Amino acid sequence: MKKIGITTTVPVEVLIAAGYKPVDLNNVFITSENYLKYIDIAEKDGFPKSLCAWIKGIYGACLENDIKEIVGVMEGDCSNTKALIEVLQLRGIKVYPFSFPHSHRLKDVESEIRRFMSIFDVKEETVEDVRRSLNNIRQLAKEIDELTYIDNKANGFENHLYQVSLSDLNGSIDVFEADLKKAIDDIKKREAINKKLRLGYIGVPPMTGDIYEFVEKYDAHIVYNEVQREFAFPRGIEAANIFEQYYDYTYPYNTAFRILELKKQIEHRKLDAIIHYTQAFCYRAVEDIVLKKQLDIPILNIEGDKLNTLDARTKLRLEAFLDMLRDLKETK
Amino acid sequence: MMRILGIDLGSREVKIVLMENNLIVYKKKVSTMRFYRDYCSFDGKVGVDLEKLDLGQVDKAVSTGYGKNNTDLKRFTPINEIKAHTYGAIYQTDLKDFILLDVGGQDVKVVKVEKGVTTDLELNEKCAASCGRYLENMANILEISLDDMSKHAENPVDLNSTCAVFSESELIGKIAEGVEMERLCAGVNYSLYKRLRPLLSKFRGARLIITGGVANNSAIKKYLKKDYEEIVSIEEPQFNGAIGCCYYGSKFLS
Repeated sequence: MKKIGITTTVPVEVLIAAGYKPVDLNNVFITSENYLKYIDIAEKDGFPKSLCAWIKGIYGACLENDIKEIVGVMEGDCSNTKALIEVLQLRGIKVYPFSFPHSHRLKDVESEIRRFMSIFDVKEETVEDVRRSLNNIRQLAKEIDELTYIDNKANGFENHLYQVSLSDLNGSIDVFEADLKKAIDDIKKREAINKKLRLGYIGVPPMTGDIYEFVEKYDAHIVYNEVQREFAFPRGIEAANIFEQYYDYTYPYNTAFRILELKKQIEHRKLDAIIHYTQAFCYRAVEDIVLKKQLDIPILNIEGDKLNTLDARTKLRLEAFLDMLRDLKETK
Repeated sequence: MMRILGIDLGSREVKIVLMENNLIVYKKKVSTMRFYRDYCSFDGKVGVDLEKLDLGQVDKAVSTGYGKNNTDLKRFTPINEIKAHTYGAIYQTDLKDFILLDVGGQDVKVVKVEKGVTTDLELNEKCAASCGRYLENMANILEISLDDMSKHAENPVDLNSTCAVFSESELIGKIAEGVEMERLCAGVNYSLYKRLRPLLSKFRGARLIITGGVANNSAIKKYLKKDYEEIVSIEEPQFNGAIGCCYYGSKFLS
């Protein structure tokens, strides 16, 4: 199978129907021991110091892993991605454009996905067949999510990892499905995690994967990973077709739509507070103003840059935040 | 009736507050030296002689203090200073969103509080040149009281040293040049403000609450008014940490 790089979640059903193996460049970048090398490659090629580390990491990962074709998201992701795609084109990489329409109208999403299908010359029925088989995997990811916030058995990192991996199905549908089943079996056998605080993690997936373990030391359990869960499309399982699935998806559209789902989950998962992660130099840090205003829950905005571990200052902030939340929980 | 004792062990003074049913009924300041000498005993852990303090029955006792002092007192529940001061400010102002600047004898804290919870903080770690002790030293050189010195804000003489010790010789140089007293005092106040600014630069916002001894310095408050929409003064800036201990004890401690 030919590899095709993706820079964010796109309708992978179409790519798989066309015989491609999608590779999420974010995952390649962040799971690599050489992640800093990828950033370095980008900076040597002229990407500014003051730019999102994900963009640079994706660039390095794309060049170093022999990716010749990518899907470029032109609308619904950030403008840095658009510029990144232009540079990748300059390096001879073939780009297939895809957009999540700003209008967020179902018929616009539909026509965009139909256009995407015609680029790859695949039929709607084939795509729906793929979608149905992927729904089995989405169901398993949903089960891990429920094992996190209902049974309290899966930890925050597992919740993050298994859901974020849905973007490219970890490179192989069959292997990933087996991995998920095994993880579910293992997790089910455990005792419930008994922590005082229930936290939500919102914003892009972290550069600093150690955050999950860190908060556990302060009696907190992350039981909701907003964007990772969106990548896993738990609501897509019930969607009538692929168009609805990618319409009911909060990552690429406006903040107001995103807030509707956040409010639902805050209530449903009984969250005590939220950690809002944003990447240094990202416009999403500005959205924090709206989120803090619209969501009636304590929110801590933390920022990550190049390092894949939390810095001392962020740890101190998390510690102070969680310390006071534990006090407040005493009075509830 | 619930009686809660809060003690804040500062670098210069120990602040003692007693609350009855969430209301302050007693407060006292003792020099740190005298507190350890006259009111404490040590047998592996510092014990406070509550009888000598003559406070009567106490149901709960909470302590906080300057990090380098021994704040872990027998019978007391220790809490960190950030929390103590944040709770003190919440108790005294009823506000839930603010930036707190606490300038004590040897230590400066800046805390951001949103929806009643700390979301950011910064402490001075390496140097105490931006603290109350600097003002005390400079007032001594000028042979003027701290209170009198703190009134002068206009036309400050330029003092540029980063180091508090160099500042003293710089000030003596200005005295030698015959600069008038008001400008010398304003210069000292302004130099402290200049040292606080980099610490505050990450803490922008609408409302600033000032606590600690430096909250009594009207010149510094005047300079800070340029940077914040509102400077909130509280009634007991020096007792804020001890008040926070009592608040914690009455609200959260079981």
